[in-house]
Amino acid sequence: MKENFDYVGRSYPIHDALGKVTGGLVYAGDMKFPGMLHAKLLLSPIAHGIIKEIDTQKAEELPGVVKVFSYKNSPSTSFSRYRLLPEQENCPADQVLFPRKVRYYGDWVAVVVAEDADIAQEGIKLIDVKYEELPAVTDLSDALESETKIHETGNLIHQYGYTIGDGDQDGEDAEGNQVILESTVRTPKTHHATMETHVCVAQYDFSGKITIWSSCQGAFAVRTIVADFLGLSYNKVRVIKTPVGGSFGGKQEAILEPLAAFLAKETRSTVMLKLNRKECILSTMTRPEVETRLRTTCSPDGKLLKCDIDAVLDAGAYATNAMDYIGGTMGKIAKLYRIPHVNYQAKSVYTNCPVSGAMRGWGSPEFFTAVEVQMDQIAKKLKMDPVTFRLQNLVHPYDMDPVSKISLGNAGIIECLEKGAAEFDWYGRYPGSSGTGRFRIGVGFACAAHKTSMYGGGPEFSTMTLKMNEDGTFVLNTAVQDLGCGSVQSLRIIAGEALGIDPEQILVLEADTDSSPYDFGSYGTRVTYVCGVCTLKVANRVRDQILDVASRTLQVPKQYLKIQNGQVCYMKDKKLHLSFKEIGIISKNKYHLDIIATETYHGVSNPGAYGAHFAEVKVDRSTGLVKVTDYLAVHDIGQVINRSMCEGQVQGAVQMGIGYALCEEIALNARGQVINDSLKNYHVINAPDMPKVRVLLLERGGDDGPFGAKGIGEVAVVPVAAAVVNAVNHALGTDLSLLPLTPKKIVMAIR
Amino acid sequence: MQITFHVNGKLYKIDVDPRKRLIDILRDNLNLTGTKEGCGEGECGSCTVILDGKAVNSCLVLAAQVRDKEVITVEGLAQNGVLDPLQKSFIGHGAVQCGYCTPGMLMSAKALLMKNPHPTEKEITDAIAGNLCRCTGYNKIIAAIKNVAEEHGDNGK
Repeated sequence: MKENFDYVGRSYPIHDALGKVTGGLVYAGDMKFPGMLHAKLLLSPIAHGIIKEIDTQKAEELPGVVKVFSYKNSPSTSFSRYRLLPEQENCPADQVLFPRKVRYYGDWVAVVVAEDADIAQEGIKLIDVKYEELPAVTDLSDALESETKIHETGNLIHQYGYTIGDGDQDGEDAEGNQVILESTVRTPKTHHATMETHVCVAQYDFSGKITIWSSCQGAFAVRTIVADFLGLSYNKVRVIKTPVGGSFGGKQEAILEPLAAFLAKETRSTVMLKLNRKECILSTMTRPEVETRLRTTCSPDGKLLKCDIDAVLDAGAYATNAMDYIGGTMGKIAKLYRIPHVNYQAKSVYTNCPVSGAMRGWGSPEFFTAVEVQMDQIAKKLKMDPVTFRLQNLVHPYDMDPVSKISLGNAGIIECLEKGAAEFDWYGRYPGSSGTGRFRIGVGFACAAHKTSMYGGGPEFSTMTLKMNEDGTFVLNTAVQDLGCGSVQSLRIIAGEALGIDPEQILVLEADTDSSPYDFGSYGTRVTYVCGVCTLKVANRVRDQILDVASRTLQVPKQYLKIQNGQVCYMKDKKLHLSFKEIGIISKNKYHLDIIATETYHGVSNPGAYGAHFAEVKVDRSTGLVKVTDYLAVHDIGQVINRSMCEGQVQGAVQMGIGYALCEEIALNARGQVINDSLKNYHVINAPDMPKVRVLLLERGGDDGPFGAKGIGEVAVVPVAAAVVNAVNHALGTDLSLLPLTPKKIVMAIR
Repeated sequence: MQITFHVNGKLYKIDVDPRKRLIDILRDNLNLTGTKEGCGEGECGSCTVILDGKAVNSCLVLAAQVRDKEVITVEGLAQNGVLDPLQKSFIGHGAVQCGYCTPGMLMSAKALLMKNPHPTEKEITDAIAGNLCRCTGYNKIIAAIKNVAEEHGDNGK
């Protein structure tokens, strides 16, 4: 599979690194317009209740305040902020801008629009609200039994399940022997903690058009939601994607834009809506808390026979993506293990907790954390080495996913685990004693699977236009969105490789709904795998046009021409050559030809993305503090496009996953109020707590991505928490499974 | 209140509300929007600038506290269009992803190298302990700073 690439597989900085290190890059929150107004939200201080009275008069009278909106003077149109396409299914329209009944601590009560942000903030303080507080459902396990109804439809949002093999089968081997293990794993509600909080700017112009500059993941989805919400035609709403200061799914939904657009329209002005950290933690979205019960049966020699999975997902106060989340990658054990009988049942429920939604991995981290913590418990019960146990059950290349009936592709998880175990010296380190004193050392690992696009689950395609300028440079027009993960640079590298020119010579545009061809946006590990192929195909067509012009000009057959570094050469006579610049000029001046192509590419497959992570931890038995002291991440990536960016994606995912395992959780009190609404008490891993992460990328190709590439950004976070939890359990001899493993939980477990 | 202070070597005389935070003065009055706000309470380090040689969270500094002082922001790192070795190294080591923490990281690193041109890895890690990054896992940021400390340490001043 190894090819000699000119550009693919090397290390490149992110495309806009220069703007980022000089401070010159303009994020949405840095934008300024003459007369721009600022909006500030009043959030609900209670988790559940009815607004009995709201008095906004004092705020309205404050000099500099332009307008105040609440349920009294805003549309009662209900909408789904998650809905990507018109008439899309599984998107309950259960939300209005300002509800009369508030459903979580942080729900939107009112907004003040003022000449500057300080005045808007002052205005908020002058609003007087009287609530009738209702009992709140603050734990997912109470949602279904509770008499408290959060929405009229009841607290069950959706139920989804599937069976593989015989769901009623008890799971025995040929001799009727079985080993059964049951466990419950809880994974917490977490904050995306993007360093840039949510922000957008909406501008109304004289023609009735609204332009929105938004730090988002999919501009067309934002346009669709906003236009439908305001009853405007799709060409009267323009969404321009701005540089995104981190997203991880947190900016996938149109959270702020419908309100900002409404405010711009009502005030006929430009309005900035920028959240502070507290508002961002309380009032945007979270990774959902999930409780997963697993009952796994295997033979005494460690062959998996059956798995019963029962999961409950806390959607929070509004459904957003909760219907799709439990049927997306959650519960898909067969992507990772060969297992003849599976019974998966999942429910998503309303609670009076902060709203959950997309977060990096979309169900895979929640689910495979549960699976991998349990797999370690089974191996322990069987007295088998956990690597050996996994190896005899993992999926093989080109196995079929029995649920989706789609091939897992050149699934490389066995190779990941074998190579990782060797590199980490697993067999040498695992049996070693964890010590007897205050500090205990443990090692753990976990395997992970994820998908590589939306193929099989809905429409999956991308359209791009590539044109050559007269000077031999290129512009790729696409609605792909770089979220700070290097997507734009990846597309440049792919196009550069195909065209035979330095990627620097290719400008990649990002989403602007007025001028971009359609694309769904950046999520679902689809960008490299699907949009990357679209780039490759459109670049190959442009390359063909370049060769046509060269052949016509040099009067030699096309098949004897080759391209290298922006030069077309005749292979039989090196003196005959043309630069891209010459071709750009000749095509226009002599042949009156525009070198340009548009391509729509439809996804054709959805192979698994795989990884195996290994962690060493040091646990302080006195304080319960855990430090991750060594880390190895191995991934089946197909083909690396941008090496240092792939490593960075993995290392960043490890930072996020360690927090998921050890310290990150949005915590509520009994009344449903968030008690850690700042970065002071919501802990994310900082530099001194972060181990060195060795990254091993296996380039095995064999699937349909560009040059064989698969995705990395999401799958990299999937195994982290389980690897760390398994290492802690190894160090202490415990079976901890309720994340995060805070010092308190660890100390309690030791006692 | 009228204050006089230097930002990136330039003298400013401005009239501000004494309760204004340094970050707001930089971003709103001086249009230096490279300094980012991530939390407003000194926990994330995105707004780090150098105040009289020390890295500080500009969201925790009030206007009155910068009177007659010298501030360096990320916009002041490059000199005459030539990038600071730290900026070059961040680019070269893939230490930049979403870029939102980058200005603060650079300023914490710069303050460290101004005082200590050849820091150990532990000193580097401690110097950026107050700068949160959600994208990179810090590994490449530390490598980028270390590279400058080893290769160009004496120019870090």
